[in-house]
Amino acid sequence: MEYQRVKANLNLHAVLRNLETLVACDDKAAELIKSWEVTLQFSVLRGPALYLEFQNGRCRAGEGVHHAPDVRLFFLSARHLNRMMDGKASPIPLKGFTRLSFLTKEFPKLTDRLEYFLKPDEALLADDAFCEINTRLNLGVAAYAVRELATTDSMGRLNAASMPEGTLSIRVLPNGPSVSIVKENGGYAVGKPNPENPMAVMSFRDMGVANDLMNGKCDAFAALAKGDVSMKGKIPMIEAVNLLMDRIPHYLG
Amino acid sequence: MDTYRYAQSQALFDRAVKVIPCGVPGHMSPAVNIPPSAYPIYAARSEGARFWDVDGNEFIDYMCGYGPMILGYGNPVVDEAAQRQSWEADLTMCASPKMVELAEFLVDMVGSMAWAFFAKNGGDVTNYATMVARSATGRKKMVAIKGGYHGVAPWMQALGHPGVLAEDHAHTLRIPWNDVGAFEQVIAEHPGDVAGFIATPYHVPTFYDSELPEAGYWQKIEALCRKEGIVLILDDIRHGFRLNMQGSHVHYGFTPDLVCYCKALANGYPISALMGTDTMKNEAAKVFYTGSYWYQAMPMAAALACLGELKRLEAPEWLLKQGGNLFGKMETLAAGYGFHLKVTGELSMPNVRLTDDPSGMLHQAWCAECTKRGVFLASHHNWFVSTAHDEEVVARTLEICDEAFQVIKEAAAQGRQAS
Ligand SMILES: Cc1ncc(COP(=O)(O)O)c(C=O)c1O
Repeated sequence: MEYQRVKANLNLHAVLRNLETLVACDDKAAELIKSWEVTLQFSVLRGPALYLEFQNGRCRAGEGVHHAPDVRLFFLSARHLNRMMDGKASPIPLKGFTRLSFLTKEFPKLTDRLEYFLKPDEALLADDAFCEINTRLNLGVAAYAVRELATTDSMGRLNAASMPEGTLSIRVLPNGPSVSIVKENGGYAVGKPNPENPMAVMSFRDMGVANDLMNGKCDAFAALAKGDVSMKGKIPMIEAVNLLMDRIPHYLG
Repeated sequence: MDTYRYAQSQALFDRAVKVIPCGVPGHMSPAVNIPPSAYPIYAARSEGARFWDVDGNEFIDYMCGYGPMILGYGNPVVDEAAQRQSWEADLTMCASPKMVELAEFLVDMVGSMAWAFFAKNGGDVTNYATMVARSATGRKKMVAIKGGYHGVAPWMQALGHPGVLAEDHAHTLRIPWNDVGAFEQVIAEHPGDVAGFIATPYHVPTFYDSELPEAGYWQKIEALCRKEGIVLILDDIRHGFRLNMQGSHVHYGFTPDLVCYCKALANGYPISALMGTDTMKNEAAKVFYTGSYWYQAMPMAAALACLGELKRLEAPEWLLKQGGNLFGKMETLAAGYGFHLKVTGELSMPNVRLTDDPSGMLHQAWCAECTKRGVFLASHHNWFVSTAHDEEVVARTLEICDEAFQVIKEAAAQGRQAS
């Protein structure tokens, strides 16, 4: 099932890996994990794998298999992982039984915190501090989701094929968060924030505009025309990335 | 000089977004201009090669309404013919004699084509052409060029765009331009199931350089179509009457089965045409295809007047020559500042691009600086020349281009980008 497979890739590589960003920008999340010294491995049978290292109050996400995780969580299928993300199934712990209570009690507090920011209601979005974290997380999800969709989703692959090579910088002005998406030799990666000499730049006038757009609250064409969102450089890169981003709600909506 | 401001345009746009999706949807959307703040959004008046926006700013227009304007805005011969027709009879309960006259005129003029059918937009006739091809052959697949534009019906739009289903593309096969081998390959992969091949006379992909047909390309495509019984459709909507009054196929020396016209047909009055060879006439007759306004006589009268004027002025030859004059001088100007201006496609509707920065940002800045001073240049699309782009217009254009080159040069020297 392509749908489940793509969704699992997005869940792991775009959503769960965002815990790294969450811990870095939300005090409450940082407080939750400050004493965690644990490496969690998530693996889907014949599917994607991701690990999260919690150490010294920081979280670092890594793709693939960690050499010595403390806990290994195994999923029989992409669907199994997706059901876990929806709170409807549990993983199979293959290692780290002594940490079961951590898994059932502590870790969910962090994922709940992520969900709190990623699935906001109107009242929360009215708060500037909340809005900022929501924007940072959404940008992170979008950047990694673009990479996954460009490689694992059949429609996404078609859209991405027409994307020229180079680096697209996406930034929130005046000094908000930034991500970049790199296409090189036909491969896609998430690059560093505010890259030098990008081939294309898409910028949001401020955090409010970025947030409205990412939460589907305004018309992107009108925002472009008014200069709330601006683009320059290789526009086909931005067009392709926008088409890919449009597919995110199909999987994570 | 002082650069333009667009307060009225922007105020209108603020009203528009409340009642119109995107404010200005489609190809006239300000979102395609980089940056939109350098461009007008609403035009108030036009004359010759120029238009004035709602703020009173004057522009020499190198987009010509994306091609329809070819004799200058407000051409008296065309406008008079159109007005006379609208007083006499425009849309009534019967077809107009002008329709017969226009079909006869086109059949007389356009090489190898034996009949004409009229509609409004380009997409009306490209879509009709594919239906005729399918009906005539009893086959399903249409072969088109990657990056080729034929309108907005779902099969013509890029896959993945909102509202377009994968199924809409099930029978459209896209191959690269100038690649005869790719055409042979799709024919082999779909034996006996390719109904038609559709392409423009030369390739004009948005955002990229234009590409002329390689020597022998069209002849090889034509030969393959003949051999395989595939209907050869020329989309001459954008190029039509800017290369050759007999059709762009005569310019490049081949014979299509169907030819689509639209943009320059009536100098801005709404009309498009599908023309075809004798053998396609009965096939076209079988396909039911019509629209509420397709029988309007006013645009037919305008088309007759426009084509008459284009012939009288030998417009394609003049446009190609004037394009050579203008863009040659523009290249020299650019070189004087150390910039490289790349001109691709035919000179009556070339793609023009500064190649000094691979991202295209410098080119976007230059187009924006020209526009803010009165020469409307799009940075993402080919430009168009009209017969109103005379020596005075060319001279003024070059003055403004020169100043814009200075501005981007100074900005670059200061390590920043203009616009
Ligand atoms: C080559 C070509 N074909 C078809 C069309 C579609 O014409 P219309 O927009 O009138 O439907 C266009 C319009 O730009 C065109 O340039």
